[in-house]
Amino acid sequence: MIRVDSVYKKFAAKPILRNLSFSAADGQVTALLGANGAGKTTCLRIIAGLLKADRGKVFVGGLEPSQHPKDVRRQLGIVGDREGLYERLTVAEYLSFFASAQGLAGTELEEALLAVKGELELSDLWNRRTKGFSQGERMKVSLARALVHRPAHLILDEPTRGLDVLAARLLRKTLLRLRSEGSTILFSSHIMAEVLELSDSVLVMADGAIVGSGTPDELMAQTGCGNLEDSFVRLAYGDLREGSRHEYF
Amino acid sequence: MSIFRNMRSRQMRGLLLKEFREVWRDRRALGITLGFTLLFPLLMIGSGALSYKVMSETSFAVAVVGGEHAPLLEEQLRGGDLRIEPLQGGVPQELLQGKYDVVLQIGKNFAEDYRDLLSPTVYLYVDSADKSGGRGAQRVQEQLARLQQTIMQQRLAVRGIAAQTLSPWQLEVRDVSTPSSRGVAILGLMVPVLLIMGLMVCSTAPSIDTSAGERERMSVEILLQQPLSGWQVVVAKVLAVTSIAWFGALLSLAVLTISFSLLPLAEIGVRFSAGLSELIAMSIILLPLALLVAVLQILLSLRSRSFKDAQVQLSILQALPVTLLVGLKLSNIELDAPIWQLVPLVGQQQWLSALMAGEPISTRLALAGSVVTLSLVGLCILVGARALRRESLLGAT
Repeated sequence: MIRVDSVYKKFAAKPILRNLSFSAADGQVTALLGANGAGKTTCLRIIAGLLKADRGKVFVGGLEPSQHPKDVRRQLGIVGDREGLYERLTVAEYLSFFASAQGLAGTELEEALLAVKGELELSDLWNRRTKGFSQGERMKVSLARALVHRPAHLILDEPTRGLDVLAARLLRKTLLRLRSEGSTILFSSHIMAEVLELSDSVLVMADGAIVGSGTPDELMAQTGCGNLEDSFVRLAYGDLREGSRHEYF
Repeated sequence: MSIFRNMRSRQMRGLLLKEFREVWRDRRALGITLGFTLLFPLLMIGSGALSYKVMSETSFAVAVVGGEHAPLLEEQLRGGDLRIEPLQGGVPQELLQGKYDVVLQIGKNFAEDYRDLLSPTVYLYVDSADKSGGRGAQRVQEQLARLQQTIMQQRLAVRGIAAQTLSPWQLEVRDVSTPSSRGVAILGLMVPVLLIMGLMVCSTAPSIDTSAGERERMSVEILLQQPLSGWQVVVAKVLAVTSIAWFGALLSLAVLTISFSLLPLAEIGVRFSAGLSELIAMSIILLPLALLVAVLQILLSLRSRSFKDAQVQLSILQALPVTLLVGLKLSNIELDAPIWQLVPLVGQQQWLSALMAGEPISTRLALAGSVVTLSLVGLCILVGARALRRESLLGAT
């Protein structure tokens, strides 16, 4: 389980997160919806222990990232807003490096590599250097890197960005399998159909705070809207008119 | 405890493999390394050989205008490295623009004035902007001075005066330097500076790429999301960058050694005396310095605002060691004092100079100096590990 408890964070006197609180349960997919600049990346970085909260606490599998950064990172698989590939390494070398960084070695490492190679259909890319990969290929490799050590908690920032239909289907299938295996999955997305298909619960974030949470149906009921997108817009932007909403996307 | 040790060694192995692959597959870094280490020594040695060839040129064309007025003088100048060509007339400036290095002009009253002991003037025209002209004029002057001395002695003897009357003493300069010591004086600054520059130049591109570059490509965030210690990350980066820098310096050393063996250094009284054991010692001595250079460059790159900013900062850093070494060389400081050998860079320069001339160095001092350098490397690694924890590294402000 990931629990964020009253987290406050500011950069240069500007508050980014304002007493942010939420939790993502084990064996569930939790979607984090928020406009650009809502504080999602900062929140994910605090969960990964890369940034320190000014106030409040975060727990990943019962551990605080600020106190036990390495233990927390062993439990986490993260796909951020940038793929962060090493373009001079082949996919095999890239994944092997991250598996060893997680402490895997020998047959354990080989098995982990074979598993992600099969699950994410990476055979064609396996011995190619990542330079020149398409956006979809980059995202696939990045996802494989996050999954290679079988983390208990998975954080994904717009994971289907740039993926073609087949790759997006494969990703959704993978996430649903991981959920069934008991993993905690927290992901952000702008694609409402994807959120509806995958998520067990949805968190709506605006101005560094959670402004709505629940299942998609609960959110629609709360806002009185007929679809999730309208519910999100109402919760995140209040009474903003249709024309000005799109500036935020 | 052993589980943690195993974990660390697995992580370290993975990190080292990743960093070494990244560095050694960087075509730009390899291009700079090979370009600098192969071309720069060859360029330096080539220009040295060219100057030596010009300096050792043995023949100068001397036009003697009005030589018929002093046939004996013209005769006496012949031979040796002067090619005398008598001319009936001609404008000296024009002759100098042609094939002549020097023009000697003898006036028509020369013989008469000479007989009357009036000390007639002889004009020597030279273009001092022309190197061989300057040296040709010097050779003619030397030849004429010898002839003048002989004539003066003959004149004094005729008058019953001993020639020694005008020379209360004879001064003879005896150079006690050995070819090795002349090698130290001439090559002692050049070679260490070249090797140290090699370390700096070869490690710049990979240092920037592995720190500022990784930050710019945002892969540093993914790296920091792994359960790795900051020092492990910095150590792996430093070792990878050091490997290419050290390789560059060793390649430079090999190119220099081969080139020196092909050059006629003995003819200018210089000897490059380093044998295999000295070359191995030089390579070992360069290693701690290579580590220090790499860690300093990585630290600076990590602190820079962007890839471009890192390039500017490291370009400035590149000039620093050479400026420092030349400055110290020109000062009156006794650099071979033990305390100076503990100072990184200065110590290495001293040992490299000595080894190059085949002279022994104090193993104790070399060890102590290397330990000081390595301690600095350790300190810089800790500072680097701290720098990796800065939130601004992720672009967060």
